[in-house]
Amino acid sequence: MISMTRLRRLFILTWTLQLAAVAAVAHHAYTAEFDATRPIKLSGVLTKVEWSNPHIWLYLDVKDDKGNVTNWGFSASPPGMLQRRGITKNSLKVGEVLTISGHRAKDGSNNASGNVVTFADGRDALIGQDQALNPTEARPGAGKKQ
Amino acid sequence: MTRRFILLFILLIAAARLVAGQSAPVPNIPRMPDRKPRFDGVWAGPAFIHVVGPNDTDTPRVTSFDRSKMAPFLPGAEAKFFRKPTGDLRNDDPTALCLPDGHPREALAPYSQQIVQTPDMVVILYEFMHFFRVIPIGKPHPADVELTFMGDAVANWDGDTLVIDTIGLREWTLSASNLWHSDALHTIERLKHIDPTTVSYEITIDDPKIFTRPWSQTFQMKLHPTWSLLEQVCEENNRCQGGNCTPSDSQKPK
Repeated sequence: MISMTRLRRLFILTWTLQLAAVAAVAHHAYTAEFDATRPIKLSGVLTKVEWSNPHIWLYLDVKDDKGNVTNWGFSASPPGMLQRRGITKNSLKVGEVLTISGHRAKDGSNNASGNVVTFADGRDALIGQDQALNPTEARPGAGKKQ
Repeated sequence: MTRRFILLFILLIAAARLVAGQSAPVPNIPRMPDRKPRFDGVWAGPAFIHVVGPNDTDTPRVTSFDRSKMAPFLPGAEAKFFRKPTGDLRNDDPTALCLPDGHPREALAPYSQQIVQTPDMVVILYEFMHFFRVIPIGKPHPADVELTFMGDAVANWDGDTLVIDTIGLREWTLSASNLWHSDALHTIERLKHIDPTTVSYEITIDDPKIFTRPWSQTFQMKLHPTWSLLEQVCEENNRCQGGNCTPSDSQKPK
């Protein structure tokens, strides 16, 4: 039996994903921090949520083939932007298993942008700053900034 | 015969008003006690898709100017406008260093903005980096304007359209995507209700050091009655500033 709260959260996240299929939101130079040529997609247990400006950060304990665990950080949208899309800090629970896709940090650290999060039950939501270009973008190929 | 003449006269007047852009007032829009349109409230600006979802949600997206709307460049000015990335964030995008985005980029930021209006002034509070503009209505620009990030703005009414004229802008980014205007930029913003919760936002870019003539682009703003401005502090947790990431406590060796 799905609770009303969970049902409502599911609806909001699904609705948000549909609307935000090509949305790109970042407060500033995405390409200064992340390498758009190095996509990454990792699954792990959510260990920490930093719900703060200028971008929220999610941390996953990711286990490799040998059983070694590495903690990865994912930079997503600012809290206000997510809130306006219907995603609140209560949408993300420490301890749950998530899959996050994005682009690796340019400095080679265990950090990446967090663009789409997929929950264990298959729901997914755009949480980040993907590289999709706005149709009104003045210069094709320009880095995504704001 | 007289009635026909009067009817013809009325039709001519109506046609003249249409030609002059003085279309009939939009019904049921909020108005001030002096009957001027009221723009008070928290708005999703040009950088939102303006589809209102459950719980008054809306979707922000990075928004810039449309190249097809721009006027031709002056000789040599295109390279000044489209600056090549150099690896120096002061050139590539100063906001990555938490420097201000300035006007008009602030208006196109994918964050909300609140308008507070009195008969004498309009105050626009921008959520992104907490910038603001205090815009007197019916007053001229000062004689000697210092160049700043947000410039000097004054407003006037053109019928039901609020017209904001801004000068005194330092050379800075015009919008996201590393477009740079000169220190001669002058903008004219025209805000007019389309319906009680939607406003047409037309901005004219007049930069005589970059373009051969002024050009305009029109966006929309949507009123969100349940929204309030949120805190936005660029420096709060900027973990990858300048491309160098710092580890979180959870990433440090246990």
